[in-house]
Amino acid sequence: MTAPLPPGIQLEKADDRIMTLNVGPQHPGSGHMRLIIKVDGDYIVSCDPDPGYVHRGEEKMAEYRNYIQNIPHLERPVIHDSCNILYPYCLAVEDLLGIEVPERAKYIRVIASELNRCVYTLYWLAIYGIFLGHSTMFMWPAGDREFCIDLLEAMSGARVTHSYFVPGGVRNDVPANFEERCLRQIDYFEKRLKQYEDIFYQNPVLKQRTEGTGVLSRMDAIRLGTTGSVLRSAGVDFDIRKKEPYDVYDNLDFQTQVLKEGDSYARSRVPYLDMLESCRIIKDALRKMPKSGSVRTKLKPNPKGGNEEAYRRVESGRGSLGMYVVSDGKPEPYRVKISVGSFRNLICMPYLLKGEKLGNMPAVYWSLNYWPVEADR
Amino acid sequence: MSSAWGIIRALNSGVKHLAVKRFTLRYPEEKLKFVGDGFQFDPQTGVGIAGLKGRHILFHDKCTGCQLCAIACEGIAEAIAMVKVNETWKHNKKTIMPQIDYGKCVFCGLCVDACPFYALYMTNDYELSSFSKEALIYTPSQLAVNPKVNQDVEIKIDERGATHG
Repeated sequence: MTAPLPPGIQLEKADDRIMTLNVGPQHPGSGHMRLIIKVDGDYIVSCDPDPGYVHRGEEKMAEYRNYIQNIPHLERPVIHDSCNILYPYCLAVEDLLGIEVPERAKYIRVIASELNRCVYTLYWLAIYGIFLGHSTMFMWPAGDREFCIDLLEAMSGARVTHSYFVPGGVRNDVPANFEERCLRQIDYFEKRLKQYEDIFYQNPVLKQRTEGTGVLSRMDAIRLGTTGSVLRSAGVDFDIRKKEPYDVYDNLDFQTQVLKEGDSYARSRVPYLDMLESCRIIKDALRKMPKSGSVRTKLKPNPKGGNEEAYRRVESGRGSLGMYVVSDGKPEPYRVKISVGSFRNLICMPYLLKGEKLGNMPAVYWSLNYWPVEADR
Repeated sequence: MSSAWGIIRALNSGVKHLAVKRFTLRYPEEKLKFVGDGFQFDPQTGVGIAGLKGRHILFHDKCTGCQLCAIACEGIAEAIAMVKVNETWKHNKKTIMPQIDYGKCVFCGLCVDACPFYALYMTNDYELSSFSKEALIYTPSQLAVNPKVNQDVEIKIDERGATHG
């Protein structure tokens, strides 16, 4: 070895076969996160994920703002899934302050959070497509995302950072003739989703790259504490919408999507099946929603909680998302702890990538439904 | 054999899209239509009125200079500053009105929720780009102008696919 190695590649020992590769933190696909990978030839010997590059201290910031002012900045970790990340916060604060939510607001919240799940999953799917070199699968979900964004824009007035949920309901009622517009667009959106089957999920090129790579067994999925689509793709029937129904999910007709394989293919397919299920939930919620009524319980200015604590969790696009809010009688919360699915799924990475080919790394990495900004909070 | 069939199915699905209408919105020429005239808030019921959260509009005849919008913005974006205006209103003794820095504003609309006098609303105007940071700071007189918007395109869905206008 005479020529100096380019930065990022280092041979640990010249006569050793093991080479260390740093994937990230500025890898175009990895998100702001580093994977320290050791390779022997083309095979990965060990993998050490190194998150924390986009840590913003959201939990500490929440201690200096009152319950309403926390809304715009608590949705910043996942702007594509901003309704779902505010959902547990609103539920927990409602428990603390003892607020009742009107029935119509509960249905509107469910519709908004299911639309947001579709927005997030389509964005994730678009990136998964481009990770695997399938540029059509980048364009289609990015275009179809418009249907859901359009509906959310009509509801909340913003395309991504909605600030729509508040403790006590939602900020504003849905516009007139929203029901028919929503039904029309969701029907078409569902039709479009079914076309993904041919071009992506039944595509033999995709199947060869993802089937049998990064297999997570059912017991490992439980032992490692995974959540969301990773857990459900390994054959565990666990969905918080079913197990601990919040708001009106117990009135709605839907099923949990479970696959048994536990490989990258199953992990990429479960969110897609969830999207089809979301369309069913939205249609059902539109049917059962009360046609008129209040959507927001009026709060006192600067509401205060007692010396209490509350923990609520919801099923987000990336799995269980919980918020633990402690109040000490002041207008600001004493502590807000955010527990996110992305961070819990990250621990699978060393187990799944061991023994894989380096070329399969993106297929395994992004199938974990991992969002670096959310994991760092 | 099954993999060959899969590739044919994938290609066929792509070829079918040659006949589908183009979904893209040709942005500067076409602009998407929004619901209503922007996000508004009714303090009596405590509920907002659906609309786009764009640039604000300030009604000088209603603003009392109470600073509730600036207090609501504290800790979120800190975009609102209260400035002196050369106007005399009976209800605005301090003659101060909000000035909004759109370089900082996150368009959450909580200032609109805070206004108890129907003085601050949001409009459908979202094109605020400028060549300098200073031009993004909107004074009370700039905020009083009702923006001209030309937004009329909607998503149309038919047998041949969805399209914009």
